[in-house]
Amino acid sequence: MSEQTRKDAVTVASDYPYVIEMCHITKEFPGIIANDDITLQLRRGEIHALLGENGAGKSTLMSVLFGLYQPEKGEIKKDGKVVSIKDPNDANALGIGMVHQHFKLVDVFTVLDNIILGVEPNTMGFLKKKQAREKVLKLSETYGLGVDPDALVENITVGMQQRTEILKMLYRDNEILIFDEPTAVLTPQEIDELMGVMRGLAAEGKSILFITHKLNEIMAVADRCTVLRKGKYIGTVNVAQTTKEELSNMMVGRDVKFVVDKEPAQPGETVLQINNLSVKGGAGKKDAVHNVSLNVREGEIVCIAGIDGNGQTEFVHALTGLVKTSGGSIRLLGEDITKKSIRYRNTHGMSHIPEDRHKHGLVLDYTLEQNMVLQRYFESQFQKGGFIRFEEVRTYTDDLIERFDVRSGQGAVTTSRSMSGGNQQKAIVAREMDREHKLLVAVQPTRGLDVGAIEYIHKQIVGSRDRGTAVLLVSLELDEVMSLSDRILVMYEGEIVGELDPKATTVQELGLYMAGAKRREGKEAE
Amino acid sequence: MKNRIKAFFAKEGTKSVLSSLLCIAAGIFVGWLVLLALALFSDKIPVSHAFKGLGIILAGPFASGGSKNIAFVLGDMLFEAAPLMLTGLSVAIAFKTGLFNIGAPGQYLMGAMSSVIVALAIPTTPATAFWVWLLALLVGMISGMLWGMIPGFFKAFLGVNEVIVCIMTNWIAANVVSWVFYNNKQFINAAGGKSAYTLPTTANGVSTPKLGLDKLFPGSNIDIGIFIAIAIAILIFILLNKTTLGYELKACGHNKNAAKYAGMNEKRNIVLSMALAGGLAALGASLYFLNGGAELAWNTYGKLPDTGFNGIPVALLASNNPLGVIFGSGFLRYIDKGGYNLAGFTAYNEYVSDLIIAVIIYFAGFSKLIKDLLSRRKAAKAEKADVAIKADDATQAGKEEDGK
Repeated sequence: MSEQTRKDAVTVASDYPYVIEMCHITKEFPGIIANDDITLQLRRGEIHALLGENGAGKSTLMSVLFGLYQPEKGEIKKDGKVVSIKDPNDANALGIGMVHQHFKLVDVFTVLDNIILGVEPNTMGFLKKKQAREKVLKLSETYGLGVDPDALVENITVGMQQRTEILKMLYRDNEILIFDEPTAVLTPQEIDELMGVMRGLAAEGKSILFITHKLNEIMAVADRCTVLRKGKYIGTVNVAQTTKEELSNMMVGRDVKFVVDKEPAQPGETVLQINNLSVKGGAGKKDAVHNVSLNVREGEIVCIAGIDGNGQTEFVHALTGLVKTSGGSIRLLGEDITKKSIRYRNTHGMSHIPEDRHKHGLVLDYTLEQNMVLQRYFESQFQKGGFIRFEEVRTYTDDLIERFDVRSGQGAVTTSRSMSGGNQQKAIVAREMDREHKLLVAVQPTRGLDVGAIEYIHKQIVGSRDRGTAVLLVSLELDEVMSLSDRILVMYEGEIVGELDPKATTVQELGLYMAGAKRREGKEAE
Repeated sequence: MKNRIKAFFAKEGTKSVLSSLLCIAAGIFVGWLVLLALALFSDKIPVSHAFKGLGIILAGPFASGGSKNIAFVLGDMLFEAAPLMLTGLSVAIAFKTGLFNIGAPGQYLMGAMSSVIVALAIPTTPATAFWVWLLALLVGMISGMLWGMIPGFFKAFLGVNEVIVCIMTNWIAANVVSWVFYNNKQFINAAGGKSAYTLPTTANGVSTPKLGLDKLFPGSNIDIGIFIAIAIAILIFILLNKTTLGYELKACGHNKNAAKYAGMNEKRNIVLSMALAGGLAALGASLYFLNGGAELAWNTYGKLPDTGFNGIPVALLASNNPLGVIFGSGFLRYIDKGGYNLAGFTAYNEYVSDLIIAVIIYFAGFSKLIKDLLSRRKAAKAEKADVAIKADDATQAGKEEDGK
């Protein structure tokens, strides 16, 4: 950009309301229109939410804005002038910056080093950090970020790491800030702080595009909201004049219930009985799980609540056989399975929706049908004499796809990797629900999913309970814990510190237990 | 129509074949550049030989001069393709399970030694010779399986990288073979004052059946080994794609965490996969040395057999597809013969022809890279974004693991 055009842009900017406009963007991929005539106008100094389910076209639209894709139709305007963005460098030159969902930071570098990475101020190759430091401190102060530039990234909290990412954008003088699902990794308190930071940025004239599918956050912080559904533009609304229900209706195309419909639990026989279960922590650390005892009866949903990293993962891994226990016993339907193999547990009544669908839940390079029989391929239904019965697998998969509404490009033969996160999770849920089971262990079953999929999975879990399954749910989402469970157990530092009745407790009280500020009577005496 | 062509080029198989062909073309081109450069800078080699040389390499065994010679070279090419096919399969099946079997040379040596000893040690009559041959073949294969299981055990139960153990077992095998034959001179061919080779197995009347193939390719060493190798390639293809065992092995290779979650015994699968790989490599050696025309240079402590290592480019060229291995090994042997003829019919010496062959093989190793490039071009930047996200996921997962 020459000096003259830059000046032009600035003069136009003062009276032109939109800082970035994406007009009638259409982007097609073989067999699918990812963006169909989408228009998004970002005003100067506003927080504009971009709302849509997984696979609605949000990512594609952002990739177009960053020059990763060239749209078939449509144009992008900066301050009213058509610009051409061929790659991310063009986008950066226009002042567009992004805070990614997963941070791009060097752990062993300081905050300052991370911020200047790639644009290091130097003379003749020698770093000149002093200037940069001052600029960072000034920015940090202006926007109330409170970041210590000399701290190592590995030593600061996730929230602070995110602020480092924000500072990276500000340091590069970006005007347009895109936040991609920024709250997914934050604790409730950090989310509140982030909202404050975003408001501050907008007040200073930065324009923010906020990609999310969490309606509460949009209601709390956004000025306007553009909704996409299945690649189509649904509309742009003023947040002040809309409701959560209207937004979710626009997003999903139907009314969504936020409250889980369920009858009171009618617990029966004990299905899972755990006594004094312990799991070793790392070398020199205390037990990751310590003396946990609990039981789950048929027809009830017992939820283990807690802040991430308090032993839930290790507990579930011990329960499902992925790691060894160091003490205690696990009884399933009265039988001691503490030392049994994973396969034994799988075939004797345990279903497991794992926490990490990519790491444990699916073989991503396998097709959907191959994944559907991951624990069952050896059963006589699916093999004969060691040869897989492919027609049976196909029939079975097609049936599951139909019944559980799993959507994918090419049906049963779709590579799992190419499916959207929501549908990958649906596939796992379908697989685990359909296997013969008496106990369902569901770990963060709705992590990263949109409201439609969450509603669906909750319905499935409640349905399973009503058919007499014992459900052990592990969740970090307080809303989910409160609405879905029949009993709540709170885990803190590897121990069960409280048992609560969701109908008789409040989120605040639950929060106190989760933070370790409160413990149930009797434990304190220890 | 256009869409059909598009769909054809979007297929994984098409991409694999295309990338392999591109690699071969690139390797031949660079090899030719070397020929040209040598001709330009050497006054002993006329420039015209660079062009002639290219023709000879491309013609492979067919440039051997005279139909008699062509038949003989062609027969040997097929004979030598069999062991390479099997070491290629060995590397490919390990790759499918997520393991890098660089131990094929060692497994190959163990197979060679065991087969030669069995074939020479058991006295035969014409009636029992076939059964001794079969026994020698099986013992060779089994010794390779056991040898391959060693890195498998270390990997599965102690978490030691299989590449390290494979390299160590390669050299252990090389020394074991030398040591065994040094102490068992009865197997050494002392005729004519030379003692570098073992006796041919025909000394005991044992050799792989030829079924008249030697009449088809007179003068060559060809036997039914090539058919056995092709049959085994097809069997491995079926094993990997149609059976529950193949399903398990591939699941472990793609994602061992998910395999564990699903209740598969991933430790057993690692050992099993390495055993299969070892057995295949050893079988290649057994077929080669039980021919009767080939003699084992037993003093191996300083050198590992090329056929073992060349299984790696064969597997890469074939994108680890067992059926592709048939063609990959065939191609390598074809170009080998071209190199041999290059030294025979032009001013280039055999070192240059070895160099050219090495260049072509080296390029064969890039087929995975080319395939990725092809995929990337197709899905353009979609892939890139996707890859970035996946990388994010991976680092995220890594972080979580570190946290624990």
